[in-house]
Amino acid sequence: MMARKFLVINPENCTGCRICEIACSFQHYKSFNPRKSRVHVLKVEKRGIYIPNVCRHCRDAPCMASCPTGAIYRDKSTDGILINYDVCIRCHQCVIACPFGAITIDPETSDPLKCDLCGGDPQCAARCPREAILYIRGDRVGFDKRRRRSEAFLEVLSSLAGGGV
Amino acid sequence: MTRYKGYTGKCLRVDLTSGKIRVEDLQDSMCEQYVGGLGFATRILWDEVNEKTDPLGPENRIVFSTGPATGTLFPAAGRYQVNSKSPLTGVWGHANSGGAFGSELKYAGYDMMVISGRSEKPVYLWIDDDYVELRDASHLWGKTTHETTDMIREELGDETYKVACIGPAGENLVRFACIINDYGDAAGRTGMGAVMGSKGLKAIAVRGSKEIQAHDPDAFLEVVDDAYKKLLVDWGYHLSVTLTRYGTPNLVEAINSIGRMPVKNHWTGYWDKAEKIGGVRIREEYRSKQGSCFGCLVQCKYMVRVPSGKYAGTYKGPEYEAIVSLGSCCLVDDLEAIFEANHLCDLYGMDSISMGMTIAWAMECYEKGLITEEDTEGIPIKWGDGDLIVDLVKKTAFKEGFGKILAEGTRRASEIVGRGTEKYAIQVKGLEVSAQDGRAHQSSGLTHATAARGADHLTSLSCLEERGYEEVAAARYGEDKVQHLVDPLSTKHKGILIKDLEDLYAIGNSLIICWYEVGWPPVFYFDDMARLVYTLTGMEGYKEVKTLRLAAERICTLRRMFNVREGLRRKDDTLPERFTREPMPTGPAKGRICHLDEMLDEYYEARGCDKSTGVPTDETLKRLGLGDLAGKYGHSLDR
Repeated sequence: MMARKFLVINPENCTGCRICEIACSFQHYKSFNPRKSRVHVLKVEKRGIYIPNVCRHCRDAPCMASCPTGAIYRDKSTDGILINYDVCIRCHQCVIACPFGAITIDPETSDPLKCDLCGGDPQCAARCPREAILYIRGDRVGFDKRRRRSEAFLEVLSSLAGGGV
Repeated sequence: MTRYKGYTGKCLRVDLTSGKIRVEDLQDSMCEQYVGGLGFATRILWDEVNEKTDPLGPENRIVFSTGPATGTLFPAAGRYQVNSKSPLTGVWGHANSGGAFGSELKYAGYDMMVISGRSEKPVYLWIDDDYVELRDASHLWGKTTHETTDMIREELGDETYKVACIGPAGENLVRFACIINDYGDAAGRTGMGAVMGSKGLKAIAVRGSKEIQAHDPDAFLEVVDDAYKKLLVDWGYHLSVTLTRYGTPNLVEAINSIGRMPVKNHWTGYWDKAEKIGGVRIREEYRSKQGSCFGCLVQCKYMVRVPSGKYAGTYKGPEYEAIVSLGSCCLVDDLEAIFEANHLCDLYGMDSISMGMTIAWAMECYEKGLITEEDTEGIPIKWGDGDLIVDLVKKTAFKEGFGKILAEGTRRASEIVGRGTEKYAIQVKGLEVSAQDGRAHQSSGLTHATAARGADHLTSLSCLEERGYEEVAAARYGEDKVQHLVDPLSTKHKGILIKDLEDLYAIGNSLIICWYEVGWPPVFYFDDMARLVYTLTGMEGYKEVKTLRLAAERICTLRRMFNVREGLRRKDDTLPERFTREPMPTGPAKGRICHLDEMLDEYYEARGCDKSTGVPTDETLKRLGLGDLAGKYGHSLDR
């Protein structure tokens, strides 16, 4: 089995363009409507701070534990937390239970809306121009940050090694 | 209501005098003939405003419009247009702004908003999808654009409301007051903020939850993917080392190196201190965060942090135009003062270009002794004083002291002062000349002279010469013309070029997509846009590129006719003598002047206008389906 991938957020990279929101709505509805997106960017425009928020697909998922009908399940292929809308009674218990506010409600249908990893190719990550949302293997998480920070030592180490590095 | 997709099919009508609000259906024919955005607004203003309309009177209309691409996944399509008769120029006025206000208006279900009348007390317009209400704004009057946005969001209980508003400058009817949305995106030029102020309209707050559909979603997604490839792969390296990395300030060094960056009230085009206010320095010393407008891949916006000193703080960084206007044109190399002045223009709601250029006019007049301390209440208006710029921005917004004169813009201010100061008012049709110079870049002179809203850089500015895009020039206009087209000092074929780009950008502003995809770099052309329009809207005619080109010509010609009706003729498509008579004194273009007239002849011919008057011919009007305008606005030279 391939190593499991995770949806990872890098808020320091996010510029608030909300392409993730538009892409998400198009993926699910073939139309454009950020209010029906399952990923949401919190914007503090005055300070230039933007924080994408999306389902973490928790290991012990409070939404799944709280669902009275067993409509929420873990998908075998992606390991993502999904909703079976045939079983869901639209009670919104999951919305209440989610500690991240990552589940919203479709105002027209009452459906709880959450990330379904687009079946394994999350469009928010695929289209993000700044790598603020990544869909990567667990062991790659933080790699870029580690590399960037490590580069600060490169010069020092080079001189210590007498230029032999 | 239109059957075409991509549109919401609704137009919101608000009459501030009676307080009446109604929703109109958008007709198929309007979409087919005018596409959206700028095109829609041009038709509305032609029909509902005329030569007798006082720009600051209740009868003037202010039109906020979006286009079919607005709010879709097509890159950089979050913008909106504001259009009205301009209080600064007295003729055609429009401005265009990014951020996320335009897309939100579309999601609320409106392709456009047409606002008329005048409210007795200050109001703001609250739009929550179908729910629309005029609310009291007495408590917001006098507040800055940031305070206004904060207070409205708090009042409406949702920080996701998008707010477009005016600051004190708009309320005080500063002629170049602008509209600010999302805390710093400006519908900047031609005084659209003063029009809002004259109507007692402080702000528009909008929240939308409706979808935008595509005619053929899968085919449209292919168009989007091709656009992604063009921007991220084909032009990817080019963009990543320029706009994405530095934002528009990267132009400071680049444009200075070709001798086209206005310095000292457009006296020359080259400054040896350019690096002090350039993109590299800003990035290395001040840049704190990258930003973006809605749905954009280029992402040229940025924040700056000034860590200490009297201008300490974190704010939105200035664009190239603002840096030149408030900086090099006033010989100011104090970058932190430029940041502060630009930030104050955002807070008070003023066009930073017109603001800086008007101060530059005053500085030159002061140097020449035409303006004295008697006029300025004892303040010496000396070149290079950064703190003075900051002070004058404040005085202008509140019309205090000498600010009362500056608030009129260069043309009116010089008419008020007299004494020969008119000569130093660097403006066309009343709009301060933006940060290009026709002596170093001939076709930019033609752009400044012919643009309907006055000397502006977004109506038809060509970048083919700036950076020598030979392949693009060859593909569009033929191998035989390349040599002259990419030569900034050549005037040959420039009339054809500028007419073509005017058409192209008119479509860009109608779709609406950002200038930094069609202007510079020259990524998208008519064929890309025709595909976009057809797959998105389903308008059959747009399977053919010629339909789009025809729509572009229709929009540009009707816009020109708006000014013809106001009495403008060839003599008004002109430049200040600084560009046509005074040889460039220093820099790479030293000794050059702008040869406007020869380019103008070619432009009129390409545009289908009578060469002696600049008026579109009856034949042109009929060809574009505007036959009812033929013969009405003669070709007389009289104004």
